[in-house]
Amino acid sequence: MANVSNVTRLRETPAHTAVEVSNLNHVYEGREGKVAALEDISLTIEAGRFVVIVGPSGCGKTSLLMMLAGLRRQTSGTILCAGRPIVDPDPERVGVVFQEASLFPWLSALDNVEFPMALRKAPKDERRRRADEMLNLVGLQGFGGRYPHELSGGMKQRVSIARGLVQDPPVLLMDEPFAALDEQTRMTMGHELLRIWSQTNKTVVFITHSLTEAVYLADEVLVMSARPGRIIDRIPITLPRPRNYEMMASDVFGRLRDRIWQQIRTTP
Amino acid sequence: MKRPSPRAVRWMLIAAILVVWEALPRLGLVAELLLPPLSKTLVALVNAWPEYMSALFVTLYEVILAMLIACGAGILVGALVGGITLLRNVFLPVFSSLYAVPIVILYPVFTAWFGIGSESKVAFAGAYGFFPVMLSTAAGIRTIDEQLLLAARSMGATVPQQITRVIIPASIPTVLTGLRLGGALTIIGVVVAEMLTSAAGIGYLVTSYRTILDSPHVFAGVLMILILSVLFDTAARAIERRTLVWQTAGRRERASSKEDKATLAMPAPA
Ligand SMILES: Nc1ncnc2c1ncn2[C@@H]1O[C@H](COP(=O)(O)OP(=O)(O)OP(=O)(O)O)[C@@H](O)[C@H]1O
Ligand SMILES: [Mg+2]
Repeated sequence: MANVSNVTRLRETPAHTAVEVSNLNHVYEGREGKVAALEDISLTIEAGRFVVIVGPSGCGKTSLLMMLAGLRRQTSGTILCAGRPIVDPDPERVGVVFQEASLFPWLSALDNVEFPMALRKAPKDERRRRADEMLNLVGLQGFGGRYPHELSGGMKQRVSIARGLVQDPPVLLMDEPFAALDEQTRMTMGHELLRIWSQTNKTVVFITHSLTEAVYLADEVLVMSARPGRIIDRIPITLPRPRNYEMMASDVFGRLRDRIWQQIRTTP
Repeated sequence: MKRPSPRAVRWMLIAAILVVWEALPRLGLVAELLLPPLSKTLVALVNAWPEYMSALFVTLYEVILAMLIACGAGILVGALVGGITLLRNVFLPVFSSLYAVPIVILYPVFTAWFGIGSESKVAFAGAYGFFPVMLSTAAGIRTIDEQLLLAARSMGATVPQQITRVIIPASIPTVLTGLRLGGALTIIGVVVAEMLTSAAGIGYLVTSYRTILDSPHVFAGVLMILILSVLFDTAARAIERRTLVWQTAGRRERASSKEDKATLAMPAPA
């Protein structure tokens, strides 16, 4: 009995790997010739982990995320999500939250959250129920009727998160989601994201330029080199959870942040 | 003292203009031949009411047909030119330059092709109104935020869904502005065409009364066109406002910044 279950466990191992990238390369063919953006990226992200990617500007973080989302095709290499290759956007496997307000200004917050389900022609009441649930999750109960221009920057990003989660994808990709927010809102949002994450058991891939944000949020920080982007370090963040603001003042926090900074600074 | 609302000021201004219109000729400051008093103009309008009504009917009929042509063709061509890169590169500069040409110079050609009846007015005014509609439709589609399309794609929107659920709603504001401009131009086009060569319509009445120096009747026609244009513009703006409730950010800038403060005061999420 124990043996049997062991065997099944072993065969199911890929299911515990949320995202697997192998030997991924990407070359842009621009006007000034070819630009190697990503070089030989291989990484495995376990299910339920919070992974943060940092790296110098222009190193290919957004490009990598677009490929994980199926929005752009890599030049070579494979990306597996839930054991199957990503070739096209699949909102049931991967949800995406972008930096800028990518909400549709002509739709209310609720309709924005419903949008992915509406594309799939889900029944109206199911859509409504699910969208309401998501707005509650992100702390926006009662704001569903507002249009994006009636929401603050932080609230807009909450709606974006709700929209990314509405189809319950196991993986959530976030490209500098809080970069446009002020410092205070940003801290609050980071903390809120951790709460949402712990309530939903998603795998999160999060891109940021803020080292503090990286250490505060991550289970693991991946550091990329300048272009062509490669993964040059993989730093486990050992801080206990739940995280709190006091940890930012701790020695461990400072050392981790310094280590990441050293890596980025010395990248060729 | 409380400042009067812009609305009140607007009405006061209109009233003032009407008073001045009545007063200037009455006081002998302007010859009645150049500007008949408002009252005489209204009397002339009432006395010749059936004549003006049938003329208005002709003008309206031409305006409506011309608007249908301008809007239909403008939106269709604008969508193609705005949406397809090849067409855009080839045609957009051409259309933009054509917009600057005073098309009225071509009106004789239109009468040669379509006669001096309603057809030439409709064709001319349709062509006149076509450009703003087409150019703003193209601009509306061209300037869509790429980020919105990217977001839609990430949520699995197919190409038809991207068109109906993102491109069309996103370009509606610019298209509506174009429709309002184009509509105004078709009214101008029809009236100008009627004044140049025709045998019916308000423009025709104005010209023919002018040649016999009957100022009150001339101004009665002017007044009708004025009212027609203002009514059209008011209606067009009302439609824009109702369609774009979601987009009132510009107009409600102050209101919404107040709201922001209110949101801050409330224990609302960041
Ligand atoms: N569509 C494209 N065509 C050609 N080159 C591109 C394209 N998109 C990105 N690049 C190039 O690829 C490189 C990586 O871009 P990318 O946007 O992925 O970087 P990034 O790490 O997200 O940068 P940032 O931190 O500034 O957001 C950059 O040098 C950029 O100039
Ligand atoms: Mg980027």
